[in-house]
Amino acid sequence: MADSVQSSAYAGEPSPLQLPQRGWARLALPGALILGVVVSLIAGLSSLTAFPQAPVLGYLLTWSPALLLGMLANIQISVLAIAIGTLAGLVIGGLQLSSLRVVRVLTHGYVQTFRNAPMLILIYFSTYVFPFELHLGTHYVAFPDWIKVTLGLALPASANVAEIFRGAILSIPAAQWEAASSLAFRRTQLFRWIILPQCLRRMLPPWMNLYAGITMGTALASLVGVHDLLDTAQIASTTVNRVDFTVAIYFTTLLLFFVYCYPISRFTHYLERKYAFI
Amino acid sequence: MMEQLLSNIVVALKRIGLNYDFLLAANERSSFLHGLVVTVQLSIATIIFSLLAGFVLAAMLVSRRAWIAFGARAFVEVTRNTPTLVQLYCAFLVLNMLITEALKSTGGNPLTPFIWVVVVISLHKGAFHAESLRAGIEAVPAVTLEAASSLGFSRRRQLLLVQLPLAVRFALPSLINNLVDLVKMTTVASAIAVGDVTYQSIMIWTQRDNVLELMLLMLGFFGLLTYLVNLAGRRLEHHLRMPGYGG
Repeated sequence: MADSVQSSAYAGEPSPLQLPQRGWARLALPGALILGVVVSLIAGLSSLTAFPQAPVLGYLLTWSPALLLGMLANIQISVLAIAIGTLAGLVIGGLQLSSLRVVRVLTHGYVQTFRNAPMLILIYFSTYVFPFELHLGTHYVAFPDWIKVTLGLALPASANVAEIFRGAILSIPAAQWEAASSLAFRRTQLFRWIILPQCLRRMLPPWMNLYAGITMGTALASLVGVHDLLDTAQIASTTVNRVDFTVAIYFTTLLLFFVYCYPISRFTHYLERKYAFI
Repeated sequence: MMEQLLSNIVVALKRIGLNYDFLLAANERSSFLHGLVVTVQLSIATIIFSLLAGFVLAAMLVSRRAWIAFGARAFVEVTRNTPTLVQLYCAFLVLNMLITEALKSTGGNPLTPFIWVVVVISLHKGAFHAESLRAGIEAVPAVTLEAASSLGFSRRRQLLLVQLPLAVRFALPSLINNLVDLVKMTTVASAIAVGDVTYQSIMIWTQRDNVLELMLLMLGFFGLLTYLVNLAGRRLEHHLRMPGYGG
């Protein structure tokens, strides 16, 4: 976040020495990366048909449905974690601005704890400390590992969303609250029509950064035995047990994460530039 | 004396339902303490190498030679947009395996899991440092550069003596942020069995089933480490502060 604030703060400074190159790089890079992915896919598929004796590609093709299913598990965990984290984070962020001191202290403690805790430790925490089934009346409901991991990722997500929300609210100049109330806006109207639209705009880029971070955090789920993309890759690698396939499968995993996260990062960058001068 | 104090604490904690018995078993206590030391070593080594990598990558990012800048940019984007754990596996399970195969005849692979973790996290965080530094380098006013070149500074000396010292000051808050993240990230070392504090804790709680107790210790430990990094950062910020720049 500090990075984005800084770059936007100085974006207005003309630096004629670097502008042409930066403009070129900005356009060329996404294009080249996408081109690279497409070319390697086409090359892979065509060499598959051209050289049916190349067994690595055959194996890769055999395992690709399993890999994609694993990737879906990652996406599912990340989407659910950011959803829970956002809802909880908005509440906590609001409470951080409470006029009650005890509420402020408690929420501040929550935010500090879960922002400073390593994600992996929180994942271990939620996996081993939460029970493996829930007792609801007379029923036992299974509490599967992937949901526990989701909750483990939702904890840092909520703390970060709270901080993003609080920062956004505080970034609106106090004069606007005063001006709006002098125009006879009620407090709810004021919040809904004046503060919130500006906050959402400011929150969106860091929130998307957070989502990309959570998505990358889902790779840690494989360490507690959730059947995700990385876990699938490990199973595939030990099952096939060939050097060239091991190389291929891990770099495919890397590529899949990149293909999912890179567009998010580009879009975040675009939004940051777009909203930088508002 | 210490032994007595420790056992008193353990007994007192047991009364509130926390089982810290492992601290009284000499071998488990020493492996836990060793884990703490390994995490600190890992953090220090990675902080140093990540900053080095960050400076090199930042210099490459602002290079006039398009292919250098492009290569560095591609590396930074790939590194920033893929999970560290996957990178660690690509390095340790793939590259390390290939190196082991290649060096089989010449007496084995000298690279340990510890070294791989340092390399991977350094390059990963180096990419983040490089982005922060690049923003800092671009924030250096153009007139400063013009003044430097009119004084006969070559491009390289401009970068080293004018842009970087200013860029470091501009980028320091986000560099500190990255370093806090880096310390937290060292926990992934446990995935490839480096004996850091996470790994030792896993070993202990599989024996004793005291996950919560170890979690609390680890959270406290990482809280302390990140606090120290923050403190050092703020000291440095204060030390490097120039009148007229920043608050």
